[in-house]
Amino acid sequence: MDKTTLDGLLSLNELRLTEEETESVLGAFDFMAGKEKIMDGIDTENVEVMVHVMPMNNVLREDVREQPFTRESLLEGAPEHTEDSWQVPRLVK
Amino acid sequence: MKEYITKTGSGNIAVDDTLLTKGIETTAGSKILSGFVPLFSADAVERAEKAGYTVAGKTNVGEFGLDLVGEFSYYNDGDEILHGAAAELIAKGEIKGALEVDLNGAPRRAAALSGTDFIKPTYGTVSRYGVIPCACSGEQVGAAAADAQETKKLLTAIAGHDGKDGTSLPAESYDYACGKEIAGMKVGVITQLFDTASEETKAVIKNYAEKLKALGIAVEDVSVEEISAAQSAWQILMAAETCNNVSRYDGVKFGYRTPNYKNIDELYIGSRTEGMNLLTKATVLYGSDVLSKGRYFTCYDKALKVRRVVADKFKELFKAYDALLVPACGKTEYKKYDIGKAFETVYEESAYTAVPNLIGIPAMVTGGVQLMADHFGENILFKIAESAEGTDK
Repeated sequence: MDKTTLDGLLSLNELRLTEEETESVLGAFDFMAGKEKIMDGIDTENVEVMVHVMPMNNVLREDVREQPFTRESLLEGAPEHTEDSWQVPRLVK
Repeated sequence: MKEYITKTGSGNIAVDDTLLTKGIETTAGSKILSGFVPLFSADAVERAEKAGYTVAGKTNVGEFGLDLVGEFSYYNDGDEILHGAAAELIAKGEIKGALEVDLNGAPRRAAALSGTDFIKPTYGTVSRYGVIPCACSGEQVGAAAADAQETKKLLTAIAGHDGKDGTSLPAESYDYACGKEIAGMKVGVITQLFDTASEETKAVIKNYAEKLKALGIAVEDVSVEEISAAQSAWQILMAAETCNNVSRYDGVKFGYRTPNYKNIDELYIGSRTEGMNLLTKATVLYGSDVLSKGRYFTCYDKALKVRRVVADKFKELFKAYDALLVPACGKTEYKKYDIGKAFETVYEESAYTAVPNLIGIPAMVTGGVQLMADHFGENILFKIAESAEGTDK
């Protein structure tokens, strides 16, 4: 992992790091590079991936309109909101 | 800073802060969720209440449950010696039990350090509806208490099918009674995990093995070469899933918002950067990397294949052994350490806890040790734990 690739990941994930934190994260990547190699010792030729450890079903419901929460209750938890909407800075100039 | 446990009045169980509790602030130990008050409770909480348990309050957890035992919660009290909040309260007798989310072993480590009991059940037997998600394919709600009997009672109360959770298995309830005689059971000690533990931990395991032998259980060493690869695979999958799950926190709809922004990008970046700690950031960045083009097949896809190999290996092991006996932690005490080394430190300790998360098998901590069984083998674990605890009385 190099600094440029890490900068790309930071941008993708909407994050920033201090210089000291950058060193720490680069260290973690180096550490994991060694640990990933351990998996090479396992023969996975012709092995199917296992995404779910147990069978999984889609959860479907009747196509009936429901309103479990009121608009007010959903807005209440927002850091900033108007009377009927979440509030964010202007997106279009 | 938040209280260690937020008292809500009288009650007999605690609920950890990664489980939603209607009307009570729930933060997953993170600043990014500060002020978040859920509009509904997790299914496990509702079931416990229906069974007669009452919620005493919320217990602190490490940010999203990613650390050892809660040391990097935003609301941490900064102790020099690390303990899990719920396990400590159980050990002190302040609460009867607790519901805790196990995504990377934190409640198991906490129980081992405090000498209490905790079970991470078979994946899909307890609903994850209302869990603040992090590593969905391996995290489970578990039950903690002072002994195996109380732990079983609490798990029985919360387990069963929930139509709101796509990963919930169909059985309406689970009976954890075990008809099998304790004498004649066979338990394997995984040598790779025993050999790497501290001398104090080895002594705890040896002592427990002696108790099992006195009960008529055959105990023998077993080598599992796949253990280290399983640990790597779980770290990769956990990080990838964490990366996706915490992407929802952006300071817009709930939780923390930075006060320093002039535009939407500054709002997103500032809120996420100030709202999450370095361990979460390192996990997210690593998870993002293993999902990227060029790394997906060599790393993420490989980890998913290793998961199947490990699952098959353990299926074979459980044909020969009723349970496996391993440490829950490499040490008998954790001391405060720097967050800059948290990623590596937690990884090293997850050697003991990764497999049950990776392949969904149940794991129980009791008497300072960890027992693992095949899927739906909770009854075996309870039987062994109750019998061993019986020899202490």
